[in-house]
Amino acid sequence: MHTESWLSAGTTLDECIKCNICTSYCPVAAVTDLFPGPKYVGPQAQRFRENGQIEMPDHAVDYCSGCRVCNEVCPTGVRISEINARARAQIVAKKGIPFRNRILARNATIARMGMIVPSLANFVMHNAFFRGIGEKVMKVAAKAPMPYWSTQGTFTDWMRHTAPRRLKSDKKVVYFHGCATESYEPYVGKAAVLVLEHNGYEVIVPPQGCCGLPLLSNGEFGTARKWHDDNLARLAGFARAGFPIVGTSTSCILTLQEEAPELLDIHSEPQQALGAATYDIFEWLRELHAKDELKTDFKPLKMVMPYHQPCQYRAHNIGAPSADIMGLIPDLDLRNGHLRCCGIAGTYGYKTEKYDIAMAVGEELFRYVKSQGSDVQMTACDSETCRWQLEHGTDLPSRHPIEIVATAYGLYDLEKRRELGM
Amino acid sequence: MTDILIIGAGLSGLMTAYTAAKAGQKTHVIAKGLGALHWTAGTVDLFGYPPGARTAPIRRPLDYIADTLTKEQPESPYALLGADRIAAALDAFQALAAEIGLAYYGAATPGDNLLLPTAAGAARPTYLAPAAQIGGDLARKDPMLIVGFDGLSDFYPRLVADNLARQGQPARAAVLPMALLTDRIDSNTLQQAAGMDDAQRRAKLIGALQQIVKPGERIGLPPILGLQQHATAFQEVQAQMGATVFEIPLLPPSVPGTRLFTALREHLRAMGVSVDAGMEVINAHSTPGAGSTPGHVAWVESATSTPRPYRHTAQRFVLATGGILGAGFNSDQHGRLWEVVFNLPLSVPQQRSQWFRPAFFNPEGHPVFAGGVRVNRALQPVDEAGGLLYENLWVVGDALANDDSILQRSLEGTAIATGVVAGQALALAWEGSLHAH
Repeated sequence: MHTESWLSAGTTLDECIKCNICTSYCPVAAVTDLFPGPKYVGPQAQRFRENGQIEMPDHAVDYCSGCRVCNEVCPTGVRISEINARARAQIVAKKGIPFRNRILARNATIARMGMIVPSLANFVMHNAFFRGIGEKVMKVAAKAPMPYWSTQGTFTDWMRHTAPRRLKSDKKVVYFHGCATESYEPYVGKAAVLVLEHNGYEVIVPPQGCCGLPLLSNGEFGTARKWHDDNLARLAGFARAGFPIVGTSTSCILTLQEEAPELLDIHSEPQQALGAATYDIFEWLRELHAKDELKTDFKPLKMVMPYHQPCQYRAHNIGAPSADIMGLIPDLDLRNGHLRCCGIAGTYGYKTEKYDIAMAVGEELFRYVKSQGSDVQMTACDSETCRWQLEHGTDLPSRHPIEIVATAYGLYDLEKRRELGM
Repeated sequence: MTDILIIGAGLSGLMTAYTAAKAGQKTHVIAKGLGALHWTAGTVDLFGYPPGARTAPIRRPLDYIADTLTKEQPESPYALLGADRIAAALDAFQALAAEIGLAYYGAATPGDNLLLPTAAGAARPTYLAPAAQIGGDLARKDPMLIVGFDGLSDFYPRLVADNLARQGQPARAAVLPMALLTDRIDSNTLQQAAGMDDAQRRAKLIGALQQIVKPGERIGLPPILGLQQHATAFQEVQAQMGATVFEIPLLPPSVPGTRLFTALREHLRAMGVSVDAGMEVINAHSTPGAGSTPGHVAWVESATSTPRPYRHTAQRFVLATGGILGAGFNSDQHGRLWEVVFNLPLSVPQQRSQWFRPAFFNPEGHPVFAGGVRVNRALQPVDEAGGLLYENLWVVGDALANDDSILQRSLEGTAIATGVVAGQALALAWEGSLHAH
């Protein structure tokens, strides 16, 4: 039995006018028969779900990738994606979570374990033999794009080692790095720190855990609640004290702001404070720019740069702040194809039964990137798993926009992904 | 800084955006979601039926507007604009549609309404239709072969053909296998249309149609002739068949409406205009007018994933949110009905008992649907005495008062005419402000 209230989903449910715009724009329904579309598994099936129900009306809801394109296009404001997430949690609460999903949902733990001996973890994770076993035993797609553990320590290691030369300032900002920056891509965090410091801000990195999104999207709400509460306890104090909390991972930030409180029914004062203080890093930089406080000493960056704004970033409903800021860089030819989704959707594309769907969803994006000419050396995208999927689908490296901005400030080597002058 | 912020991404908002952007204005479109165009048949209904008499459709809608409507309903949006400005706006739309690869045509006799078959086999008046629908013109009497696909819900070729035959249009029906369109077990017309973007699938469909069509017949299909590659798909099928081929629009999600929306949005993006969905306006900040001085809209804010709304500042604002059938108005059980963004006064009876006349299909329509925002000839909102409410706000489309677009069959005509005229007025206001400085 699910233990959550359906309140927020239920109140928007009756707004559904069955127009099917959500299904028309759903990237998953477009490529597979296994997912009939958001309207059917969302507001329609919802009529048949209630607390304590013995049989769920359908299981196709598990094929929802949680990209939230349906919410974006719905003309009447139905929270379709949240209805689906709750329905999945209801199934998990009744049937239990498959072992594979339990592991994938704990990618924070995997990330930390790999960092014990990263070279060994990388060998296993990128070895065809072990991946073959992983696919057979664990149902984790052998071809799915796994990241590499950092062999130069974690992001917080770097913060510790470089503490003496980190900027001290009256102006302070808190950085939420997320698990991927901590263990796989510390250079994204370094770029963020360089950009923030260049603008005169001291960067505080408090202890922090996984935002819980992988748990939420795999229907394990109980553990997600515990993890979110931990972050809330660690961050709410900063929020109340008036520090902006910025992040480079668009889906982690969205989870802290909206997804966790919405799905877990958390409307406490600390949550309100956290929601109000938390920013996507580019949303915050754009506000600095609006106040004329962003440094614009950008060096020209003569590149053709296909950019994909992740669906979880569009769900912030703040426009495209990173594209707005990258637009200030001279000579940078930024090209936004406005495509729906790369397909990977967090842990979705790592599941054997969903890998092909994820690749089919991403195809229009991969094709768009390839159509931008042979001058294209790399792509830009704000979300880690989306970058890995983009690299997998296009064979081109992908960078976080903050790395591009750090490069334009002359602080960072975009190709080698390291700070300049060190 | 944005010159013009347009709230609403239906046909009226997009036409305003196009007209203003073409005149050099920095324009941005935000919307709660995508709507309107995805619900409609993709045709341009200008004026189908006179109010009160549900008999014969109007034959020449622009003449009707010029000769009758302007006298009988001088407060209606069409009367405010006048037939000449409406005709010019329709020309602008036709030119734009051709430019974006979705040519629209009128009746063989210029100025006449077209009569096109519906999926129930009825005759529906409309003024302009996409190239792929024009072949269904019921002024032509050559026989029709109406082709359905096995298992396609909402389209029953026998029903269409029988009803057309009853009205004197020779027609017969045929059914082809769904596998020609898609391999999916369950699909909607958008997915079937996307299937016809593929040349190999088209070749198979053409082969199957050649088996069943008789010489001299025109071929009526559900709207499945391509989505991204629609123009190619339509022209190829028609050329290879050596016969007139036409589509009959179906229930939402509407394929012809989606084609038009997609092409317009892509064109606007190429012009530097963003059309952003998922942005519901929740606050508007304005200084109210005093005496004869109108008010001024400073900014609006849309909902985000945080308690911090997203602020949109602009020189001028356009309300294109639709009326009671769109998302522009809301109501409560006490009979209160309000405009959701600026809380503009509405010409709707504020008593629920007066919203509706008896009988659902009342030929007079229902007062609640004819109500909306009152505007002046420049399409700026006014109070009951005709006083200008805000100096930098315009209203277009179905939110306008004195216009029951569903009853009249005038939804797209109003959207295009008011959108183009407002877009021009916005550009003129900009020039005016340049001269003032």
